[in-house]
Amino acid sequence: MAMQEGRTFGLETAAEDLAPEPYDTGKRTRFKVPNGLAIMWANRKSRTGLILLALFVVVGIFAPWIAPYDPRAGIFMPLAPPSGENWLGTTQLGEDVYSQLIYGTRTSLIVGILAGGLATIIGLIIGMIAGYAGGWVDEVLSFFINVFLVIPTLPLMITFAAYSPIKGVTTVIIVIGVTGWAWGARVKRSQMMSLRERDYITAAIFSGEPMWRIVFREILPNMTSLIVAGYIGAAGAAIGAEAGLAFIGVGDPLTISWGTMLYWADNSGALLTGQWGWLIPPGLALALLITALTLVNFGVDAISNPHLREE
Amino acid sequence: MAVLEVKDLNVSYMTKKRPPFHAVKDANLTIDAGEIVGLVGESGSGKSTLGTAVLRLLDPPGTITSGQVIFDGKDITRASEDEIRPLRWAEMSTVFQSSMNALNPVVNIGKQFKDVIEAHTNMTEREIERRTAELLEMVNIDPSFSRFYAHELSGGMKQRVAIALALALQPRFVLLDEPTTGLDVVVQQAILDNVKRIQKEFGFAVLMISHDLGAIMEIADRVAVMYQGQLVDDQPARDLLLRPKHPYSRVLIGSYEDLWQPASGSAAEDASSDASGQPITRAFGGKAPVDIAARHGMDADETRMLGMDDLQAIAEATAQDPAVVRAPAEASAHEAVMVIENISKHYTRRRGLTKTRVDAVSDVSFTLRKGYITALVGQSGSGKTTIGRLITGIEKPDSGSILFGEQRVDQFARRDLKEYRRHVQLVFQDPYSALNPAHTIVHTLTRPLANFMDVSGRAARQRVAEMLEQVGLTPAEQFIDKYPHQLSGGQRQRVVVARALLSEPEIVIADEPTSMLDVTIRAEILEILNRLVRDKGIAMLYITHDLLSARALADEILVLNKGRIVEGGDANQVISEPQHDYTRLLLSSIPNPFAEGLVAD
Amino acid sequence: MVYYLRRIGFFLLTLWAAITLNFLIPRIQGGDPAEAIVSRLTGQSQAIDPRQVEAIRLMLGTPDEPLLQQYFDYLGTVVRGEFGVSYSYFPYTVSHMIMETLPWTLVLIGVIQVIAFVTGTLLGTWAAWRRNGAFDSLITTTSSFFGTLPYFWIALLMIYVFAFELGWFPDGGGFAGEETPGWNWGFISSAIYHSILPALSLLITAPIGWIMSQRNTMVQTLGEDYTRLARAKGLSERRIALTYAARNAILPNITGFAISLGGIVGGSILVEQIFNYPGMGRLMFEAIGNRDYPLMQTVFLFTTVGVLTANFLVDMLYGVIDPRVRRGGTN
Repeated sequence: MAMQEGRTFGLETAAEDLAPEPYDTGKRTRFKVPNGLAIMWANRKSRTGLILLALFVVVGIFAPWIAPYDPRAGIFMPLAPPSGENWLGTTQLGEDVYSQLIYGTRTSLIVGILAGGLATIIGLIIGMIAGYAGGWVDEVLSFFINVFLVIPTLPLMITFAAYSPIKGVTTVIIVIGVTGWAWGARVKRSQMMSLRERDYITAAIFSGEPMWRIVFREILPNMTSLIVAGYIGAAGAAIGAEAGLAFIGVGDPLTISWGTMLYWADNSGALLTGQWGWLIPPGLALALLITALTLVNFGVDAISNPHLREE
Repeated sequence: MAVLEVKDLNVSYMTKKRPPFHAVKDANLTIDAGEIVGLVGESGSGKSTLGTAVLRLLDPPGTITSGQVIFDGKDITRASEDEIRPLRWAEMSTVFQSSMNALNPVVNIGKQFKDVIEAHTNMTEREIERRTAELLEMVNIDPSFSRFYAHELSGGMKQRVAIALALALQPRFVLLDEPTTGLDVVVQQAILDNVKRIQKEFGFAVLMISHDLGAIMEIADRVAVMYQGQLVDDQPARDLLLRPKHPYSRVLIGSYEDLWQPASGSAAEDASSDASGQPITRAFGGKAPVDIAARHGMDADETRMLGMDDLQAIAEATAQDPAVVRAPAEASAHEAVMVIENISKHYTRRRGLTKTRVDAVSDVSFTLRKGYITALVGQSGSGKTTIGRLITGIEKPDSGSILFGEQRVDQFARRDLKEYRRHVQLVFQDPYSALNPAHTIVHTLTRPLANFMDVSGRAARQRVAEMLEQVGLTPAEQFIDKYPHQLSGGQRQRVVVARALLSEPEIVIADEPTSMLDVTIRAEILEILNRLVRDKGIAMLYITHDLLSARALADEILVLNKGRIVEGGDANQVISEPQHDYTRLLLSSIPNPFAEGLVAD
Repeated sequence: MVYYLRRIGFFLLTLWAAITLNFLIPRIQGGDPAEAIVSRLTGQSQAIDPRQVEAIRLMLGTPDEPLLQQYFDYLGTVVRGEFGVSYSYFPYTVSHMIMETLPWTLVLIGVIQVIAFVTGTLLGTWAAWRRNGAFDSLITTTSSFFGTLPYFWIALLMIYVFAFELGWFPDGGGFAGEETPGWNWGFISSAIYHSILPALSLLITAPIGWIMSQRNTMVQTLGEDYTRLARAKGLSERRIALTYAARNAILPNITGFAISLGGIVGGSILVEQIFNYPGMGRLMFEAIGNRDYPLMQTVFLFTTVGVLTANFLVDMLYGVIDPRVRRGGTN
């Protein structure tokens, strides 16, 4: 960009100041969400994740129309290998494995959404309070967070679930949510602590903003991508945890989920009879769903960190 | 013979998604043996990229797209890493910005000398030890420190280690990349003096990159100016000062000139300016620290390399001198808004199991007046920021009183503080963290209106637009709905000023409002503050480390050292006739491009 | 110095918290598991040692006594190591069962985790050093997927392929039935043979986390000023990668290793159950199936204490290798 001779320098109006960044289109945008989705779509990894995730969601919603049979209908020959009638074979009670696989999507998605949500909310509240309040409140809460981080989660969940009088998906969701919040809390606490020191927060105080507005309207919007990324991660972890709990036998054996499918498969000696149709698909489905979530998270990272946007 | 030749060099950042960014365009530069060349430019001008490219340290996506870098007659532009390695450090070395993080944190200092010496020579272990000791002594560090780790050294020591390290293999060329940025003015002076001394002794060529023209002028024989990727000017130092060729160079020199001209209306003729009417030259030449040290009975050996610790010691010693405070003559014409009397504040610092008491502010008194600008000048650790916090009520002093009208700010309860906020507003240092990235400009600026003045909706938007115009953001419509990341640093800072003024405060506290802005913009921001504060009759406290900008802007200057006011009075007088040794120390350390009585054209 | 004190303090406090948690969990949900156990035990007809009944009551709850009193009695049993009798392994005490199974778990899990950490870190270092190269792309894309595969599913697959189809390895157990446990070669070799498949199944997924975290941390340290300076110094690539980048990158990973120990134990429970491996994990699995509360609780307590101790040891180790902790400085 050549310098134009004869231009006067002095007290120009600020419009002549250094030009804004290259991708400023000058459009007035009040909302950031559409922009966010666009970035996620552009990122190859997260685009794959989004498509995969959408697939699972569709299967979950339309399960009754996609699955050929009622997953609990024990109308077939038990422990049968894959056939034209039962693409993945049958369970020990003569139920269609393929239908169970389809319906299992619902359980995993629900557990992921709810348990992940519960863990994220608990983590957010504790993390935010610890980070904003500081002092002894922070010391106590931090200790609490560290304890839950260090104690092995699966044994804890197992113990909780085992003592629960009610068996069922709700218990599993609550147990996972209540034991898995610590990591998120720690992350949000440190972000809260760093955001609290920013000048614009001091400025907000001096603009007369009350504390609730500062926390919710000034700080929280800057934490959104972290919260979303944390939620997606928590959902993935919850799905894996549910499978683990179900497999061990602590979940509700009557629910249809991929974890319980593996539980019954193992219990019924599917290994011995070589029923790969019962053994392999549930595990694969789990891995694919969790991978989809991880991939989507790459996109969320790209939103918060512009450096990562160029692929 | 030229040590370094840069011919038609082009460096670009090639990313996959966006068009390539041309950081350096057709650069031509020659550095002869033993020559000190300065490269000055603002942030984003490409000067650091040029330096990195010259050393062949560019990381992808940065690449040299065309042109040549010739070192000692050898074209190293496309040489492989293996071909360049023998040159590295042995022929060309570098010192990074302030060396805060340039030393490996998990390896001790001695080993970091050892690994580079070993890589390039065949010296035995004992010889290496001896050489390391020599190098450390040259920068006045006890050789026993080689067993220490980076985090156990003070900032000044780390900088000296970095310099010693750079000279370990006696290279022919040393690149200094912002070597004094972020350091106190006095430390900066000491380091530059010592680099000059060592360079004279060993005769290596230097390329010093900095955004601070003053610092460069201290040591450079020749200065090149970089603007938007191009080298627009390249002349011997004095010539550049007197006859800048390029319009941008003129602006750059101009912004420094502004600071050194006496403020209009005050005593333009004073005894210290020389007969040609030139602006003030540096008091005591370069020997001030030594003289002052001697006066206080300290060891003052000129050949030693002074670092931050020595200068701390001198600052401490001068702190004991009696303070000299004279109220400026016109002060009484302006009505007092806030009276601060004898405030003190201390902190207890706990490291491990020991506690130390730090007296941040001791017995400070001054008055803020309507339409009157008071500057609080001090280096880091002087207590100036603490005073700002005490005035705004964020913290309470241990003793003394802060009177705002009839009210005692130092005794405010929480509820009173909330009421008080609208009367005292802040202008922050960092324009990049002073505005919430999640909100548009209009949203951020309407908050004070809504909270303090019960104005919202269209009326509020109207007021915001008016204020934006007043700070120079015209037409306001172009800026009002933007997000902070869409504005430049200078534009953001204007918004920050607008926000401060919207609640119609009585007092504005500006804490280093321009230190993070490019030099060419600083004057404008100060000008806006100056105009608006005087027009609206606001009392302003200008906190800074920069004596010169204080003189350009303020009516009264208070010099702060170690929590005490050591000198105070009319701005021009304090600068032209400093009474206290500490003030003299500060003044003598300010890089003055116009020193030694240059004759104006 | 302060660092070590804080670590010790934290260890002791968390230990106390874990024990207390162990006390509280059965009592949170209401109901009376103690009653169930006791009636089942007395129904066994054998002469029940009233002390064992006492122990069970203490651990799981005596309906009439005040909570605080129960708590202190419980603490007493923990200190004395009286954890009651196992229902599923009657008449063996819980402590006996744990002592029998503990070594198996320690050896399998402990050794594997260390191997996984070392391998993962080395691979991660390599991936970061050849950033964006073929190896790096391969690692980053596959680890996202492989890292999500459930441990137990991989284990099942491995058994299916290697034990059933190919018959290379035994399909379960800790050792061949005919060998007598002890320090004899027959037993040891058999034990090793039986542990290969479980170990492999763990080694597939365990290193992945370390690979990714080491890679990412190291990419960061490669961008630090001190690494740039090392390159400006003309040091060899190897030296820069190891002494400057990797050496700094590994520090947060060690902390990560300490934190992850809790999750590792979870995975081991599953693996042991699938392979019928005689470790504490399988013990836990049996306890759940049989609603053997004393056993379940004590295994939980032991695994938690084990993880805490390992965590503590790693923390101490970290204090040694990071000079900033070892010698706190001026800044």
